[in-house]
Amino acid sequence: MKVTQKDLLNIPKKALLKGHFACAGCGSTLAFRHAIGAIADKVILIVPASCASVYQGGGKGAAFNVPTINTAFAASDAVASGVRRAMKMKGKDDLKIVIWGGDGSGADIGIATEIGACDRQEDILHIIYSNNVYGNTGGQRSGDTMIGAKTATTPYGNTTPRKMVPFIMIANNARYVATASSGYIEDLVSKVKKAVSMTGFKLIQIDAPCPPNWKSDSADTVKIAQLAVKTGIWPLFEWDRETNLIEISRPSKKYEDITNRVNVTEWTKLQGRLKTITEDQLKSLEADTERQWNFIRKFM
Amino acid sequence: MVVKHSKKSMTGNDAAAFAALYAQPKVISAYPITPQTTIIEKLSQYVDEGKLDAEFIIVESEHSALAGCMGAAWSGVRTFTATSSQGLLYMAENVFWSGYGRLPIVMPVVNRCLAPGWSIYQDLQDSMAFRDAGWIQIYTKNNQEVFDTILQGFKISEDKNIALPYMPCLDGFVISHTTAQVALPTAEDSFNFVGEYSDPVIEVDTENPWIYGGLVDPEKFIKDRTDLMEAMERAKKKIVDMNKEFGEYFGRTHGNGLIEIYGDDVADLTIVSMGTIADEAQDAVDKLKEEGLSVNEMRVRTFRPFPEEDIVEFAKKNHKLLVIDRSVSFGHAGQLQIEIEAVLQRNKVDTSVEGRIMGLGGEDVPYTKIVAAAKEALRSKM
Repeated sequence: MKVTQKDLLNIPKKALLKGHFACAGCGSTLAFRHAIGAIADKVILIVPASCASVYQGGGKGAAFNVPTINTAFAASDAVASGVRRAMKMKGKDDLKIVIWGGDGSGADIGIATEIGACDRQEDILHIIYSNNVYGNTGGQRSGDTMIGAKTATTPYGNTTPRKMVPFIMIANNARYVATASSGYIEDLVSKVKKAVSMTGFKLIQIDAPCPPNWKSDSADTVKIAQLAVKTGIWPLFEWDRETNLIEISRPSKKYEDITNRVNVTEWTKLQGRLKTITEDQLKSLEADTERQWNFIRKFM
Repeated sequence: MVVKHSKKSMTGNDAAAFAALYAQPKVISAYPITPQTTIIEKLSQYVDEGKLDAEFIIVESEHSALAGCMGAAWSGVRTFTATSSQGLLYMAENVFWSGYGRLPIVMPVVNRCLAPGWSIYQDLQDSMAFRDAGWIQIYTKNNQEVFDTILQGFKISEDKNIALPYMPCLDGFVISHTTAQVALPTAEDSFNFVGEYSDPVIEVDTENPWIYGGLVDPEKFIKDRTDLMEAMERAKKKIVDMNKEFGEYFGRTHGNGLIEIYGDDVADLTIVSMGTIADEAQDAVDKLKEEGLSVNEMRVRTFRPFPEEDIVEFAKKNHKLLVIDRSVSFGHAGQLQIEIEAVLQRNKVDTSVEGRIMGLGGEDVPYTKIVAAAKEALRSKM
């Protein structure tokens, strides 16, 4: 399902209108505009507590142009299950029930609910936009925070590896699992379209740079996201239950070979959160990146 | 004309499951907990056997059980779940979310005490902790009332003028697992009474996108909460009307829907209680009358909305109230006592109130204990 730049303009309707409350350079809203825009005529959005519950705006000036149900932090996958089952009873199977939330809910507080929905093979798509942090509450460490990153609760740099939610969902027999990036929009949109064409539980995790919490220039969002792929930090891949194979996505292909990768400092130097990363932390970060790749290789 | 019934022996939980089956919810989302479990087991069986055309979501927690119902309610279909005790506590944030979000959901709570001290037996501590959650709360006294109250619940909760979630409460084991005779109407008559949920109070719609539960300013926030308070006020009348409507159709009522008076209209002492203790108190009233003592009873059936006017009107005619609570607000007193005293004070009624806590952790409360408490209260000066 190849998506070109031209396809990005050809959307059923705009999902994100003017007047949203996102910060300048927000990687999450960039991804939202295209990912949800591509399926905007058929989508019901479920939003757990997240930056998205704020940047959607409110009242008559609301910026989300798709039906949106806001839920408690850990409730979104179960609410989505209820909506899906109700729509089934109403004969509206064509609607796409999509969760749009951050890594706070997707990797931490909501993960039991998420695995529950996956276990039941609910026909929903959960999209985690990962800014690697509790962004809304002032930037605390989440289960998806990078090693070495300074956060409000890890002032000397995070020391523990990321919780690999895509792998957890593969282990729990989801229908489809993919990673994506705000730096590669065509790849993201093609994965979202593919996911909603399948029946069952789907997960897409998007790398979404967050200028205020990453202490990065808001003009560098796309560049940082692309560097995460080129340094191997954020491998882009898809896994399909039917083949039980992981396919490395085109933007990431070259970087499976470690010798082709851009030096990780090219990526860290653009982010204030990683400015104080120690030698040891950098080594751990690289080791954790290899851990990810080694897991991926087992399914190739 | 009153519809036909057949007399059946069944537990309170069976009665609850029959009421839910007959109302034909489209989505049931549930998680097991004692003593509620046999309600949802029955319903899963009905769904699997094709007796009930519904989606049954076997969730991984109570938090998700209610969240599943909330998703269904937002989608404009009839929905049902049930819980107890720790389960109710675990779903807490969604209990408040569905109350303040005005979602029509019917969820019986089979009352069970709270840990620590593991015990599966009954008191009202669990549901009482949710009196501020924006749910209608009705405390039933027997198996028949469980069936009737749940059936009424769908019509009340799904009324556009009400749009409040509905929590029928039944004492664990004393009702839930005790077999008693229930006059069971037919499935057809029951469904005719409840009717289709054809004009939903809320329905997510792709043609007309809307945001539910998003950002609000204080002005809108206060308006929403004021609306909720007003809906509760309207619910009082609705419960009374529903009790009458139910009576005309099925041939029985439960007090006036809000409270039930037993015995003489005026007496030296009035026993005030809820749930099965209130049922037992009726035997106590008979016994005391035999002994020549003047005692009557007021059972508070509806706790939310709190029937201030009805309670005040009855209390004005009587001299002394003995309020028996099966739960405690630690650091204060039993919740029913606190609320009774508040409405008497607010309405400048000088009837005296004495409170007793009974039956915590499943302690048996036979009528003899109530008789003894009443005699003590009659002797005390108050």
